[in-house]
Amino acid sequence: MTHDSQRYGRRRWVVLGIGLVFLVCAWSLGLSPAGLIPPDATHWERTGNFFAAALDPAFDYEDENVPDDADPIWWKGLKGVFLTLKFAFGAMSLAVPAALVMGFLGSSAWWPEPCGKKLRFFLQTVYGTSRFVMSFLRSIHELIWALLILSAIGMSPLAGMIALALPFSGTLGKVFSELIDEETRDASQSLKAIGHGPLQTFLVGIFPAALPNLITYSFYRFECALRSSAVLGFVGIETIGLYIQLSHEEFYYREVWTYLYLLLGLIILVDFWGAGIRKRLQATGGGCQA
Amino acid sequence: MSAAVQDNRSDRIDALRKTGGGNWFLRISSLLVFSGIAWAWLGSGPLMGRLSAERRWTNFQNFLGELVPSPVRKSGNWSDAFPWAWELIVDEGFVALMTTFGIATAAIILSAVLVTPLLPLASRQLSRLHPFEVWSGKESKAMRMLYRALGPVVRFGFVIARSIPEYLIAFLLLSLLGLQVWPLVLALAIHNLGILGRLWGEVVENAEPDAPQQAIGSGQGRLGAFAGTLFPMSFNRFLIYFFYRWETCVKDATVLGMLGLLTLGKLIALAKGFFWDQMLFYILLGASVILVGDLFSTFLRRKLR
Repeated sequence: MTHDSQRYGRRRWVVLGIGLVFLVCAWSLGLSPAGLIPPDATHWERTGNFFAAALDPAFDYEDENVPDDADPIWWKGLKGVFLTLKFAFGAMSLAVPAALVMGFLGSSAWWPEPCGKKLRFFLQTVYGTSRFVMSFLRSIHELIWALLILSAIGMSPLAGMIALALPFSGTLGKVFSELIDEETRDASQSLKAIGHGPLQTFLVGIFPAALPNLITYSFYRFECALRSSAVLGFVGIETIGLYIQLSHEEFYYREVWTYLYLLLGLIILVDFWGAGIRKRLQATGGGCQA
Repeated sequence: MSAAVQDNRSDRIDALRKTGGGNWFLRISSLLVFSGIAWAWLGSGPLMGRLSAERRWTNFQNFLGELVPSPVRKSGNWSDAFPWAWELIVDEGFVALMTTFGIATAAIILSAVLVTPLLPLASRQLSRLHPFEVWSGKESKAMRMLYRALGPVVRFGFVIARSIPEYLIAFLLLSLLGLQVWPLVLALAIHNLGILGRLWGEVVENAEPDAPQQAIGSGQGRLGAFAGTLFPMSFNRFLIYFFYRWETCVKDATVLGMLGLLTLGKLIALAKGFFWDQMLFYILLGASVILVGDLFSTFLRRKLR
């Protein structure tokens, strides 16, 4: 009891501390409420135009120089949406297999028992190494990976996919390894007891049981990949983000909103699709990984 | 084997069986996913771009050469890299790091503060005519309609907030509010508002219903029940998610600087194309900070669990 009440007694200090940290940050960044409104008349006008355009998205190009035989804007927008989807699919098809391998190496549920000292040391080295590789992969943002890879091998669809796949495989792998280790060990222990090897134990006793959680989480990451794939447009890869950037540079706000609505529609659709899959798979794990 | 354990296991078997084949939704979904993957790889256009393979190889070799710190390239001695790196840190790197941290921290706190009052409105148990199935107060048609709409509207608001990538929000806000820190903070705060709304919302939904039920039954309002029971009960789990999102915010704040504010992202974008060695250094600096943040937040989350 005393322990619990002591624990709860700290809450007020945590809240106060967080408030204080916010004030310190705001002070050091020079955040003031005045910054929340547009600074001058041009920016006010721009803001007005921007939000007015939200109610009136473009159904035709605002640019008069677009040739008459060009695709209509909704078709171009849909194309952007499909390209965004394409990158996300391509990236995930690279990231999931890589993450399965790293997640397997970074989990301990399949280790043989009893385990000799030398073998244990070896397994722990493998475990530590793959954990480190996964942390490293996900500590660099996908946009930065994209900058690096585009500079290294030039602009191509494959480069975009690899740039997305690298950090995603790190995140997926970390969560996969945790999901694998959290799975109940009854089955794998029985299998070990009747003489199955580590790989058999994993494939028969652990992997099928963890599969619903793995699929649910992969699907969640697919939603994230869609968002990131849209953002890759800002480094020049042809997704809907590129169209948004180009229209925005010309102040064609109505076109921007057309693309934004299409992107929103896509992501919300996939969000609901994922919720449907989650419900039907009755996955239990994956709490901390939204 | 005791009967309880036996029961438990057969439940598990049932659950696993249900997740097996035979569900049309899952079948169609997997078909869609696999055709999507096939289309991504086989669909239109050359995957490798238009450059020839030899050209790409020479480019790649040049690029690797440029990644070596410039003093080392001249003298061939790696010990010359240390003063070079130190200068980069003192010059701008440190300030950029602190700005990155500040933006991430301010943003995540802001979204936590904004999302808390929305949680009782979004809760499936509280935001209804009879919270926690307890009959309270007078019933009117208008109230019934209001409560039927309120929860779904707030939850859909969360979906929209988390659907727009933070980079895109920051890009748009920068052109409206001018070049300052607020657009980045707001962009991160809006995106994370949606995510915390979902994560914290789930914590509230899964909380033990006894205490809030008692509170409502003894005459407290919805807000009172939330502030008095649900919020304190869920506090530690809230913090776990809070730190998890903070960690992601640090990473995203780094990149948002590419839009032109002094975080590491700006330094990376400026160095790109001219000083590849500096770019790599800033990238690794950012990565190491995130690795440390990752360890710190893992440690905190483990402690709170």
